[in-house]
Amino acid sequence: MDETVAEFIKRTILKIPMNELTTILKAWDFLSENQLQTVNFRQRKESVVQHLIRLCEEKRASLNDAALLDIIYTQFHQHQKVWDVFQMSKGPGEDVDLFDMKQFKNSFKKILQRALKNVTVSFRETEENAVWIRIAWGTQYTKPNQYKPTYVVYYSQTPYAFKSSSTLRRNTPLLGQALTIASKHHQIVKMDLRSRYLDSLKAIVFKQYNQTFETHNSTTPLQERSLGLDINMDSRIIHENIVEKERVQRITQETFGDYSQPQLEFAQYKLETKFKSDLNGSILAEREEPLRCLIKFSSPHLLEALKSLAPAGECRIQKPLCYSASYSQGTQDLSSC
Amino acid sequence: MEQANPLCPEGESKGGVLAHLERLETQVSRSRKQSEELQSAQAQEGALGTKIHKLRHLRDELRAAVWHRRGNVKACIANVEPNRTVEVNEQEALEEKLENVKAVLQAYHFTGLSGKLTSRGVCVCINTAFEGNLLDSYFVDLVIQKPLRIHHHSVPVFIPLEEIAAKYLQTNIQHFLFSLCEYLNAYSGRKYQADRLQSDFAALLTGPLQRNPLCNLLSFTYKLDPGGQSFPFCARLVYKDLTATLPTDVTVTCQGGEALSTSWEEQRASHETLFCTKPLHQVFASFARREKLMSLVS
Repeated sequence: MDETVAEFIKRTILKIPMNELTTILKAWDFLSENQLQTVNFRQRKESVVQHLIRLCEEKRASLNDAALLDIIYTQFHQHQKVWDVFQMSKGPGEDVDLFDMKQFKNSFKKILQRALKNVTVSFRETEENAVWIRIAWGTQYTKPNQYKPTYVVYYSQTPYAFKSSSTLRRNTPLLGQALTIASKHHQIVKMDLRSRYLDSLKAIVFKQYNQTFETHNSTTPLQERSLGLDINMDSRIIHENIVEKERVQRITQETFGDYSQPQLEFAQYKLETKFKSDLNGSILAEREEPLRCLIKFSSPHLLEALKSLAPAGECRIQKPLCYSASYSQGTQDLSSC
Repeated sequence: MEQANPLCPEGESKGGVLAHLERLETQVSRSRKQSEELQSAQAQEGALGTKIHKLRHLRDELRAAVWHRRGNVKACIANVEPNRTVEVNEQEALEEKLENVKAVLQAYHFTGLSGKLTSRGVCVCINTAFEGNLLDSYFVDLVIQKPLRIHHHSVPVFIPLEEIAAKYLQTNIQHFLFSLCEYLNAYSGRKYQADRLQSDFAALLTGPLQRNPLCNLLSFTYKLDPGGQSFPFCARLVYKDLTATLPTDVTVTCQGGEALSTSWEEQRASHETLFCTKPLHQVFASFARREKLMSLVS
């Protein structure tokens, strides 16, 4: 086994936390059950790693096997990367998409290898019709750098691919080209959508965020929700408050739905506005040109935070456009004042 | 020289008179305003007063109605047995009606296309089926507005929903729904065939089934007699028509690639025809039956 491959596998296994080690090794499926049973996982980590490396040497692990382990580690730790979303499009009047996974993989690899002699491309298919692609980049004269790979998750027979953001941006156009040609599309465009959470990006882009539908079997017990009001108040005040709170809850539910929101961490808007001012001679108010600003909302879980704003107080907000796309409800006025 | 002497009686009376008149005028206009305000306030008071009276009257009427109803109910309960059985019978009849209605609504699922009115529009449910087997259901929640739009849906992303909507949603909603039903039923049917092949006839396959999300390209290798000496066949089924459950192109080759004997060639050709005309799992079922017969005979 090559020195570099051994080093690479060693560093990958060292990254894996002890409690996940057996799960990931089983998913890798390179070392057999018997081999794994000979390892004492209760030792210090260095000893475990050394034992595993010896086993990999016995089985003559190749660069491809090591790359596969790296993919599995990344699949388990998706949140450590920031993912961009790319959308491809076909020309008009294209034939029906007869996606052939083998053909796609071969085509993708060939395009990259023809452009850059030194590149490592590995694939791993998952159950939801997605293929994880790992690309380690080199140049004409240097070997691929296995420690700074790019990951692409492509959902076959859809126009969407997710790419991990990396610092090596000069390879992005080539990657886009390879993806587009291999999947038989014409164009690729980067969307204004980025997140650590692949599942949330998927939910937004495939419009799967709201999967509750009204059927004749379902009931919507909106009235049963307790609104937490002070019982000692006058019953007429309670009634008025209930009416108002129910209205706010209804509007919140119509905008955000009953489902858990996709996890976005920030939303950025470009704003062009003119200031209105009562004070005469205010510097901001009397300008011909509108003011241009960039507004950024950030939160560990932005949409849930916005959803809880209305019942908590007052706000007026426009549902993020990229989130709602063509199925938006437009502006929702959640406020009472 | 006549100087305007401010203390001259005429001048004083003129300045005084005009000023006095002015004062009187403002006084009058002020008092007029006040009286107007007073009048409008009084009018408002009067209107509110009548409103209060009306509302009180309404409240009293409603109270009386409630008391009356309560009295009726009490009277009913007081006439113990015969009324109670009537009530129980009524309740049973209502429950039976409710069960019937629920059953009818469930039965709509078998028509393949059903819906429920929502506050915004309608939630359409498409229940797919293939060969009498009820398969997955898909929902499309429509908002009835101009223009008609889809609020959210559970249609898989590789079904061309947006294309179909662009073509038909605004002009002919029936066509939209039927077209979507066609695509979804065909997809479900193809998926069913592929799933059945993988689960029921794994013994006849010599390698994994290659498939794609739409299940419109399937390739696999199979043997008619598993464990036997015959050459495996490679089949490639292409479904270019996404509204069909049978392939448009089938290629069956022999894995050896050598020149086949005529019997193998006949078999190969007949397999191609079979795959084109019958559903995949049925073809394999016939293979399995034939194999069983052969093993019994030999």
